[in-house]
Amino acid sequence: MNALTPNRPVVPAPVGLLAELTHRCPLRCPYCSNPLELDRRSGELDTATWQRVLKEAAGLGVLHVHLSGGEPTARNDIVEITKTCADLGLYSNLITSGVGGALPKLQALYDVGLDHVQLSVQGVDAQNAEKIGGLKNAQPQKLEFAAKVVELGLPLTLNSVIHRGNIHEVEGFIDLAVKMGAKRLEVAHTQYYGWAYVNRAALMPDKAQVDASIRIVEAARERLKGQLVIDLVVPDYYAKYPKACAGGWGRKLMNVTPQGKVLPCHAAETIPGLEFWHVTDHSLGEIWRDSPAFTAYRGTDWMKEPCRSCDRREKDWGGCRCQALALAGDAAATDPACSLSPLHAKVRALAVEEAAETPPDYVYRTIGSNVRSPFKEEVHS
Amino acid sequence: MNAVFPTPDTAASERLLSPDELEAALRDIGARRYHILHPFHRLLHDGKLSKDQVRAWALNRYYYQAMIPVKDAAVLARMTDASLRRIWRQRIVDHDGDHPGDGGIERWLKLAEGVGFDRDYVLSTRGILSATKFSVEAYVHFVSEKSLLEAIASSLTEMFSPTIISERVAGMLKNYDFITKETLAYFDKRLTQAPRDADFALDYVKTHATTPELQRQAMAALTFKCNVLWTQLDALYFAYVAPGMIPPDAWRPGEGLAAEAPARSAAGGRMAPGDCPRLPRGVRMRYDETRSKHVLLAPERTFDLDDNAVAVLKLVDGNRSVAAIANELGSVYAADPRAIEADILVMLDGLAEKRVLER
Repeated sequence: MNALTPNRPVVPAPVGLLAELTHRCPLRCPYCSNPLELDRRSGELDTATWQRVLKEAAGLGVLHVHLSGGEPTARNDIVEITKTCADLGLYSNLITSGVGGALPKLQALYDVGLDHVQLSVQGVDAQNAEKIGGLKNAQPQKLEFAAKVVELGLPLTLNSVIHRGNIHEVEGFIDLAVKMGAKRLEVAHTQYYGWAYVNRAALMPDKAQVDASIRIVEAARERLKGQLVIDLVVPDYYAKYPKACAGGWGRKLMNVTPQGKVLPCHAAETIPGLEFWHVTDHSLGEIWRDSPAFTAYRGTDWMKEPCRSCDRREKDWGGCRCQALALAGDAAATDPACSLSPLHAKVRALAVEEAAETPPDYVYRTIGSNVRSPFKEEVHS
Repeated sequence: MNAVFPTPDTAASERLLSPDELEAALRDIGARRYHILHPFHRLLHDGKLSKDQVRAWALNRYYYQAMIPVKDAAVLARMTDASLRRIWRQRIVDHDGDHPGDGGIERWLKLAEGVGFDRDYVLSTRGILSATKFSVEAYVHFVSEKSLLEAIASSLTEMFSPTIISERVAGMLKNYDFITKETLAYFDKRLTQAPRDADFALDYVKTHATTPELQRQAMAALTFKCNVLWTQLDALYFAYVAPGMIPPDAWRPGEGLAAEAPARSAAGGRMAPGDCPRLPRGVRMRYDETRSKHVLLAPERTFDLDDNAVAVLKLVDGNRSVAAIANELGSVYAADPRAIEADILVMLDGLAEKRVLER
């Protein structure tokens, strides 16, 4: 597929840029979306390069920039980078753990025009939360940080990643969000890529728990209308249709890694053979339009059956490529989270089986770990 | 009652009491001097205090709670017997918890937050009455300077606390709509902890007060402690009930409170024509040159806007009322402002429900 192919899909302008400023993070959550091989500080892009990337992003039509990591406030230039977003009219969203450098830098971030804060909370009970996040004393820091965000008048979203270790706390997360004065709460069931895939057996809740959590969220949405917006991400393995991953491959989002590699989604590097381009070699526009990684699964031409003839193909865009690879051994297969996939029943059975067993210990996220790529386990029909 | 100090009558104080008589004498001190009898507590439990008076109580009482482990550490430091220390140290664990976010002090902070205080303000202890501080510090000094028997005997007010706690919890829940069960979680634990602690301390005092002199000391210690508690309520009453003389440095109503939760739009009903809507921080409209249209940028959301929505939102500035916006648009588009108003109320309510518009 190249630029001269006549039926090359029209490339829509990207709306979001996920800027993974660093992989450094004081937390060690066992479901972290960062890759198993984390980038080190020495290889991180410098301030000027990030500023150029942001400028190119604004020119391409990006509206939202998600300043993420790792812990983005671990970077000394986070305030400068945020200011650049504001200067360019980009909507800046700080995705933070609320610990470490987050609180000391918050006032300065506010002053330069930060638009929104998304704070992760691992649990409601402090002991449980700190076990999941793998950091002692994190919870009081998070609460203090949240209070300051609200005091400044910044909109606050709480993000709770749900799994069997905290699924009993869904009601508690809702209460916590209300108490903190958050405007939004994300009740996001774990998506099993990266570290979460490694820890899947420790994280997978059972179907009854999942159903109960959905009922709690639905009741709270009604009760708290106008006070708290609750977004719910249901777990793939129990779903009927897959998510349109990142809004469709190469359609809405791009992800720049700490070292400047540009990915269609944060887990795309797990797919072997994809060629990613780097912001130091190409402009962001070139990468978005022409880089092999972005063109590989953009549109519908790459699809096989049952996606190819499915009338949902432009709704969910075949689901998640990384999950297709992980579970079906083929990144171009239908995401087995889809009930139309021939592998769906097996995936579902796997989830049920794992949820029924005693959970193993977490494998905590660490830089320089020797956890190997987990994608050997495949479900074959 | 013409009580002299200490309280039991002279005849009884000159002979050695049996352990049961001693216990009865100690309980008698509580029956007459424990702070459940204080007018401030009657007001508190009967729901007669204002929210600010309850706040004053919660704030001042925090100082007592926060110093209890300091007091118990002082008692602990005087114990040469490991088996005794093992029992006593549990009091410190109960109060401090064994990780952040746990323990009695934390639960008291929750209570203070529950009545509206900013946590940091409470922690700073600014605003606490000097009389509270003097009284609490006198207690810490007492247990460091007096005998171990007296130090332990002074803790015996715990014998009386389950009564006061159950009265308090029931009374406060019934009488104050700003008090929730969650806010009063502190007392749930104390209902079981206090009797356990008191049983041990009472047993110790009954066993170790083996002469009339030691028994008098134990009774005096308990009387002293009752006065520590009583004095704190005197000070609260004087400053915040009558005559209402608040010392210069002390907390005044309105100070040290947490920011109120942001205005709720739907909870307080729908947008009315007189309301002045505004886009809060983190929500803004901009022109998207790439797509040649206006968009509303919000947390994790982008709203595509049609021309009508753009015209309305350009006038949403926190100063113009909905009616004023409708009038302006009515004159620009030569249309009936009443019809426009009805339309824009629907649109603004929709945005408020998604928490991207406030008033």
